[in-house]
Amino acid sequence: MKKAIGLLVLFQLFFTCLMAQTALPPVDKSPMDMSYYPNNYPVLKIQDKITEPLITRIVYSRPQKAGRGIFGGLVKYGEVWRLGANEATEIEFFKNVHIGGKKISKGRYTLYAIVNENNWTIIVNKETDTWGSFKYDAKKDLVRADVVTQRTDAVLESLVMAFEKTATGCNLVIAWDNVKVSLPITF
Amino acid sequence: MRILVFPLLLFVLLVSCDNKPEKEKTNTPETGKGDTVSITKPDNNINPYAQADISPMDMSYYPADYPKLKMAKETSAPPLARVIYSRPHLQGRELFHDILKYGEPWRLGANEATELDVYTDATIQDKKIKAGRYILYCIPQQDKWTIVLNSNIDSWGLQPDPSKDIARFVVPVNQTNNSLEFFTMIFEQAASGANLLMAWDNVEAKLPISF
Repeated sequence: MKKAIGLLVLFQLFFTCLMAQTALPPVDKSPMDMSYYPNNYPVLKIQDKITEPLITRIVYSRPQKAGRGIFGGLVKYGEVWRLGANEATEIEFFKNVHIGGKKISKGRYTLYAIVNENNWTIIVNKETDTWGSFKYDAKKDLVRADVVTQRTDAVLESLVMAFEKTATGCNLVIAWDNVKVSLPITF
Repeated sequence: MRILVFPLLLFVLLVSCDNKPEKEKTNTPETGKGDTVSITKPDNNINPYAQADISPMDMSYYPADYPKLKMAKETSAPPLARVIYSRPHLQGRELFHDILKYGEPWRLGANEATELDVYTDATIQDKKIKAGRYILYCIPQQDKWTIVLNSNIDSWGLQPDPSKDIARFVVPVNQTNNSLEFFTMIFEQAASGANLLMAWDNVEAKLPISF
């Protein structure tokens, strides 16, 4: 009897491991999204309504508040935050731009943030195609830019990032819960 | 003794399933279809910047789970390919013909055009593909799909522009036993590179890519 149980257990292990390997990925709880500048560039492109060249795109995942206190709670003050979920948040520049007084050459970068109550530090880092901020390496930072926090009128359930036009380029607006920041990008 | 067998098996099942997924997942699929989480539309009315999409975006790398491998320092080589796509779901519909029709071009996703990033020169069905960004679309038939590699990147949905087609590849379609609620694209390791697996409902097709 014991032998039979042992065998059953072995089979069970074998098959569950087999199943685990061939399973296709489920839908992420924090869905991915992308934003372009100019805003809605892909839609404008198929409508032949493009008036400005493509400057930048951000690809990020959107965690949800789900009843939690976000800033100072889930996202701890003073620590490096992945600014998203799952795959590291990626910003691509299709031409050279300036952030925080520093020239950023066209290319792909990873964004992180250090969140505080009144200001955030936005970090542009050269290590792409990575996951979360678990292996964040400050040696690969390209620039750090400080921005002040503002309150939003409404509570935002999902983290959101979008670009807003400015006189000198655009702002990357990052908002979640009742906090938003704007990172100026000039070009 | 026999009474012990079931709880023991249950325990083994639970333990062996606990492979600590990094991605957030729910453990209770609502429709009984294994790839499903409930899609909430939490803040569509009050998010003034960008609504949460009904067909969420996702990305898959080759090597599979490259960002996690990189994080775990299990690889130092650069990634070879990546696909960024949105994942429409059946929601009670049948793939053919409720959503797709044989012979009609399909965007292979939703929202922004499905993007294939190739980080090194590659070969697909004897055709050289230069490293770069591309979009993909598909012309499905019952037993085969034509997968089209096109250069109209950073576009939306599908306005097929054959003048920007780079190559077309015909691949067979297989029927699967399970129905997938969400459209899924992943890279599988293959003998000479990777297969880009495209699966939805009870059909799947594989596009072989050599690096």
